[in-house]
Amino acid sequence: MAIKSILIINKSGGLVYRRNLSNDESLNSNDYLIVASTLHGAFAIASQLTPKALQLSESPLTSKIDYTIPYIPYVGLPRTGANTTEKSRFSSSSSNNLGTTNSLGSFKGSDYFKEPFQSWNKSGIRQICTDQFTMFIYQTMTGLKFVAISTQTPSSVTNSEYSTISVQIADNLLRKIYCLYSDYVMKDPFYSMEMPIKSECFDCRLKQMVSNLP
Amino acid sequence: MSSSSSLGGHSKSLRLAGEDIWKNKTEKVNGELFTLMYGSIVSQLCRDYQRCFPKVNDQLYTMGYNIGVRLIEDFLARTALPRCENMIRTSEVISKCAFKIFLNITPQVSNWSTDKNAFSLVLVENPLSDFVELPMDAMKQLWYSNVLCGVLKGALEMVQLDCDVWFISDVLKGDPQTEIRVKLNRVLKDEIPIGED
Repeated sequence: MAIKSILIINKSGGLVYRRNLSNDESLNSNDYLIVASTLHGAFAIASQLTPKALQLSESPLTSKIDYTIPYIPYVGLPRTGANTTEKSRFSSSSSNNLGTTNSLGSFKGSDYFKEPFQSWNKSGIRQICTDQFTMFIYQTMTGLKFVAISTQTPSSVTNSEYSTISVQIADNLLRKIYCLYSDYVMKDPFYSMEMPIKSECFDCRLKQMVSNLP
Repeated sequence: MSSSSSLGGHSKSLRLAGEDIWKNKTEKVNGELFTLMYGSIVSQLCRDYQRCFPKVNDQLYTMGYNIGVRLIEDFLARTALPRCENMIRTSEVISKCAFKIFLNITPQVSNWSTDKNAFSLVLVENPLSDFVELPMDAMKQLWYSNVLCGVLKGALEMVQLDCDVWFISDVLKGDPQTEIRVKLNRVLKDEIPIGED
């Protein structure tokens, strides 16, 4: 699952961050702004449209839906990161120019988190599949949306269960990007809330994380 | 593997979750460094405002608010806790997870109002006020750790809980205990992100 681009949309529907990770640049920055706010609108509409069966069953059936995302080990971390010591993490992170000793910022250990977690996005869009790409959306409790566009297409998916697994992988990845955001954007005194993100550290870390994906 | 599903349940597992995140998932710094840094900020503010302590309180509150609206993202990214269904749950998350992760203390929750919308956090120990003794003129007016109120206010507002947060007593002022009051005004329903219900 190669990622083509990562977008971050603030709670009012504005695009605050966009990073293209492949070379084919077809849209200009204005188009991306429109894409982001359209996505924000479509998300709101989608959550208002619920199948009649779910509406009629009220709480008993809807509460049975499991929103737990399983923890998938070391998504977006160096392959060597799996069950190794601190030492190898230093060597793998030595390629970046940040000069930090700890590759996970304020997070300790070999991965950002190690438990399954609940998705906050319960009735909005979580995945959009097209013939050219697949889009994954992760929304936080504060209303921030993280969007990943991957090169995965229906034809490249052979296993029927693969689709749900890739949502889970995407949610794991996007929660880690949220961790990066909380570390490198929220703790930047020059960043003003809701405004476009211009942080070299964040950029660098995000690129590194996405390039670690298979 | 089962720890996340139990996060939705009992308060005991909430405490365990908070402890685990503090212990294994969060980088540590020397606590004294933090205490002294805060001390230097407060003393600088007292100088800047020419010992007009109500102004210092306000400024600390504003600084706390600005910290809180950002810190909530760190907290949520770290814990990924689901939305709290009531203030009882909120109070537990604050005392057992939030204070534990960021300050390594667990305040006691007490003095519930009858409608269960207001509670007190009793800080048995307060790392901000270590090594501190208030000068005579500040004793009556300055809430030394007022930044905490601002942090709570800002962070709760970002998860759509409009609260009032203020200090009731402080051991630095000679009171028997340090107590922060949190009162829920209303849940900002319109602002809850779409797609969560």
